[in-house]
Order: sequence, then C-alpha cells, then structure tokens
Amino acid sequence: MKSVMRIISRYLVSAVGVALILLAVNFVVFFIYMFQLNSIEQVEYPVSQIAEGLTVQNGAYQLSDTTEKIIEGNYQWAMLLDDAGKVIWSLNLPAEIPQKFTVPEVASFSRWYLDDYPVYVWRRPDGLFVLGGRVDSVWKYNIEYQMVVFDKIFIWIPLVLLINTLLAFAIALVFGLRLYHSLKPLAGGIRDMSEKKAVKLSTKGLLGELAAGINKASAHLVEQDIALDKRDNARTKWIAAISHDIRTPLSLVMGYASELESNAELPTAEREQAGIIRRQSQRIKTLVSDLNLASKLEYDMQPLRLSPVSLPGLVRKISADFLNGMMDERYTIDVEIDENTQDETITGDEELLTRAVSNLITNSMQHNPKGCTIQINLVKEAPFISLSVMDDGIGFAEEQCLNLNQPTEDPDLPYSGLGLTIVRQIVHAHGGKVKFSNRTTGGCEVLLSLPLDMG
Amino acid sequence: METIFDCKILIVDDEPELCRMVTDILQREGFRHILSASNCREARQSLSKDRPDCVILDVTLPDGDGFMLLREMRADSSAPVLFLSARDEDQNRLLGLGLGADDYITKPFLPLELILRLKAVLNRTYFPLEQTGPQERIFYLGDTQIDLESGTITRNDGEQITLTAKEFAFIEKLYENTGKIVTIENLCHAAWGDNVYRYENSLMVHIRRLREKIEVDPSAPRYLLTVRGLGYKLVGVTKK
Repeated sequence: MKSVMRIISRYLVSAVGVALILLAVNFVVFFIYMFQLNSIEQVEYPVSQIAEGLTVQNGAYQLSDTTEKIIEGNYQWAMLLDDAGKVIWSLNLPAEIPQKFTVPEVASFSRWYLDDYPVYVWRRPDGLFVLGGRVDSVWKYNIEYQMVVFDKIFIWIPLVLLINTLLAFAIALVFGLRLYHSLKPLAGGIRDMSEKKAVKLSTKGLLGELAAGINKASAHLVEQDIALDKRDNARTKWIAAISHDIRTPLSLVMGYASELESNAELPTAEREQAGIIRRQSQRIKTLVSDLNLASKLEYDMQPLRLSPVSLPGLVRKISADFLNGMMDERYTIDVEIDENTQDETITGDEELLTRAVSNLITNSMQHNPKGCTIQINLVKEAPFISLSVMDDGIGFAEEQCLNLNQPTEDPDLPYSGLGLTIVRQIVHAHGGKVKFSNRTTGGCEVLLSLPLDMG
Repeated sequence: METIFDCKILIVDDEPELCRMVTDILQREGFRHILSASNCREARQSLSKDRPDCVILDVTLPDGDGFMLLREMRADSSAPVLFLSARDEDQNRLLGLGLGADDYITKPFLPLELILRLKAVLNRTYFPLEQTGPQERIFYLGDTQIDLESGTITRNDGEQITLTAKEFAFIEKLYENTGKIVTIENLCHAAWGDNVYRYENSLMVHIRRLREKIEVDPSAPRYLLTVRGLGYKLVGVTKK
C-alpha cells in the first residue's frame, strides 16, 4: 500500500507543478508578445518622430521620403490641423474625413477613433499632427485603475498564485484519491502474487482489464508452483525409494563380504579381496544416504528438529569420536575453542550439524591419503558463531572453490561431491553462511558462520 | 537359560536371502535357537507358538509394518526387539525407539555391528548383573591398584586412599573408555548429570586431585592424560 500512496503523492505534486508551470509560461508568453508588438508599432516609429518628418520649406509643407514610406507601410493617412481645426496639410486622406474639425470633435477622436480609423496625435508648434492607422488594425482602450490596486500588487499576485496552487492541489487530490481507490486492490493483488498466494480481483471498473491480467498471471504462477512442487516431490520420493530399495541387496553384499573377510579358512589374498568389496559397499551406503539427504535438503523436505545446540560440545564430541576410532595415526585433529563460545548455543538440528562437521573432517581425510593435521576453531563473532575446519593438505582446486562459494552450484564447473554439497545445504538450512577457501600456508579452510541464539 | 546363546531369536524379514544371512551370522557366533518369518502373519504365529526371547524385525513387510507388529507384541510380551530396517530417516528410528524397540539398525549393516548390538541388548535384558565381573573392576596404573568395587586406591607403599564421589565418577568413566578420549561434557555428565560447560573449572580441580592420588608425578601425568581442547583419556591400564 505504501507504494500506491507514494504514486499518489507524486501525482499530486506533479499536478500542482503542471498548473504552476502553465501559469508561469502563460504570463511570460503574454508579456513577451505585448512587448514585441509595441516595439514594432511605437518604439521604432513613434508618432512624434513621424510628425518631425513634416517640415516647412519655402512656405510649403514637405514630407520626407522615408517618413512617407513609413506612413504608407504602417499607417493609412496623415493630416495636420491648424489651431482653428482646419486641415492645412494631408496625405492619402480618405474622402469621408471632413476638412475642418470642431474642438469637441478633436477631443473625441484624439482618444478614440476617427471614423473607425485608429488615430495617433502629436502637438506641433504649427498645429496638431494626426496619423490614421488602418481600420481594425488596433484596439484602443484607455486603461484606468484605482491606485489602491497597484499599491497592493505585491500582495494579490502571490495570493492569486497561492489560491491557484491550492485549487490545483484540491482538484488533483480528488482525482488522486479516486485513482488510489481503484489502484489499491491491484497493488494488493500484486503483493499477494509475489507471496505466492492465489489472487482473484474484481474485473469491473476503469482498471478491470489490468485486474484481469493480474488474475491471469496469478493463476498461471499458482499452476506452475503446483507443477514444480509436484515434480520436486516426485523426484525426492523417487530418490528416497531407490535409496531404500538398494539397502537390502547391499546388506547381502556387505554382510557376506564381511563374513568372507573374517573367515580364517580362506587364503589371505581372497580375504583381502573380500575386504575391498566390504569397504566399497560401505562407500555405496554412504553415497546412497548422502544422495537421499541432499535431495531432501534441496527441496526443503528434510524436517529440521530444532533445539538449542552447544557447538563447543558438538565439536568436542565429533573430534573425540573421530580420534577414538574412525581415524588412524596419519591424521590428527587440533581443537581450539574460544572461551567466549562456551556458554553460547545456536538453534539447530544437532544431527544435521554433526553431519556437516563430520563431512568436512571426512573430506580432508579422503583428499589427503598421506595424512594431514585437521584444525578446528570455534570463535564467537556476534551475532554469529564461526566454526572453521582447516587442514594442511592439498587444498581445493580453484574452480572447485569458486563453484562451492556460489549461491547455487554450476553444473558446468567441477563437482565437489555430495559431502560438501550437504555441508552447504545444512548451513543454509540453519540461516548461516559457508565459505570455502585455500589457506596461504597450504591446505583448505571451510568457514561456517551460524547465527547465535540471542538473550 | 544359562547364557545369551540359549536365547530364542526370531528374525522377521520379507527377503529370504537376508533371513538366511542373518541366521548364518548368528549361528556362527554361537546362537543355537534361530527362527525366521517372512511376513506379519508368520511372525504372529511364531510369536504365540515359540515365545521367542528376542525379535529382529524389519519395518517394511508385505502385509503390514514392523511398527504395528511391535505395538501388538508389546501387549503380552516384553522380549527385546531390534529393528533392522532399510528406512534410514531419523523419524523412523525415533518412532521405532519411541515404541519401545531396544535398538534400531539401518541396512546395510556389518555383521559385527549386528552381533555387538544384539549381544548388548540380550545382556542388558537377561544378564544385567554379569555384564562386568568383579575382577574387571580392579585394575592397575603402574604399581597403583584401583578398586572400583570399594572405591579405594592402594599405592605400592601399601597406603590406601579413598576416592571421593566425583573422583570415583571420573575414574570409572575414564576406565570404561580406556585408551579413548572422554570429552569434558561426558565427564561432567557422569559427575553432575549435566553436560553444561560451566563445570569445567571444578572438573579441572577434581582431575588434579585425582592425579595426585594415582600419578607418581602429578605434574607430568603418565596415565590420566589431557587432550587439549577436548577432554581426558586414561592409558597404561594393566590387570594383574
């Protein structure tokens, strides 16, 4: 809903802005136009200048050529009245204009029109110079204002602007609110869609077509989701079924191989071969259960049994178990547990976390058959607890590191085995982070950061 | 019934070859009375007719499941039950143990693992007192004799020292795991019934006192060793 409110407020601001800009543009254009018209008609050839073009030479009136051109180009006629109101000189004077004017007649046309000709007058020492414009070319009006209006001009212009702004705002608000009400359900629909909820909006009204589109997209998404879930579910179940079915035959292989291996009546060579079968069966067993777990973790079908877990205890237990029987003298484990982690717990699935740490130890052992020292450190870096498992062996291949550190593994890059994939999945399922790297001193380092319990 | 090998053991599994293999393994180990059933119906018949002393039970059966069979069985029998299942999900293991099974083994398994677990269950159920003979409760660390029966230490000069309750708990736990690392949590659990780490400091105090009693040179221990970061282990145990 916030985004819709934001859209509406933007809309209001822009509507008011549009109104103000229009007002300003109108004012500017109007003033520029007025200024230019006046400059053409009056500033370049004012009547005073034209009047001076008429001179007395040898007792007769003489109009200069340029002045005549100006009069013929921009006006229609000109005349000069003496003090008695008699025409003593004229140019192109229309026939309907009388040759003599009374004082009231002069007073009248000097302000308005003479027979519809707009006229301009200029007082000369020898009389009154009258210039006649073309009919309908100029609108003449005498402007008269109370001085009080001009006194308050700096109050009423901003006031008018303010009222205009408020009005524009109010109108935009009314339209905006109407738009808001019709957009609100659509915004809700889009939000629901992003949360994977089914959306069914009313398709009536102005935005009905939009609503119908959203409904359709939502239905599509829901369908796709169901199909995907179904496929993931089917795949996980399929893998679970296979890993179940493979166990019974594998029991027989492993059981009999083990029996042959310990049968003292058989020659040593045969017993060793049986031992190989037994060990490889155990590897298949691990692979099968890893595959099953990885597929369940991948599609969130592994329920987490959450409880407070003490990582120092967990690390000690796993290390002791490995040292007590699962590893020979080629390998050692050094454990360094920071004092500040002792009382900390995390919320997690103890069995899965054990699996993750064990997988890392096993991985180090598998890749360093000549032996290595495994170093496990536990440090608190609130709000996380950092568990790193390092060794001084051959380390990761660079591309392998790159792939393991990506959010999802790239099938084109070298595959690192289910063991490490599971580590990653388990850490992610606990809301933690995992980083695979090589140590500068040689060997690999895997850093798990798991969120601490607060309080 | 004089030994665990006299126990009547019923194997229930729908895979005849697996039944045969388990029978072979148990026979070679010395068990004398082994029966088998391949489905729930046969298992029920055998349960009421033969009254087995222990049942090795598969979970997936053609006419029902092992969990159901165990529930029925528990109505009139308390014979120990060991699940041998191809289902490895923890829920199944917990369900099985929650229903009162004595152990849960996932397929595939090593014969030795099955034997050890079966023997442990049978010993626990039928011969709980004979698990460790009294002579096994006396051992030596160099010339020092430790008697867990009486909770006393006899040094080579004849001096007798009594162990405190905590010291006794530690030495007993370490002795049960001779040669193996026992974590701090495990030791605390043995002494205080609690594995919270805050006991570590008192644990160190108790271990020091224990060393003064059993070691020739407590500052350079030869028997009760510290495994840095993890816990302790007892080595050099001899019997006379």
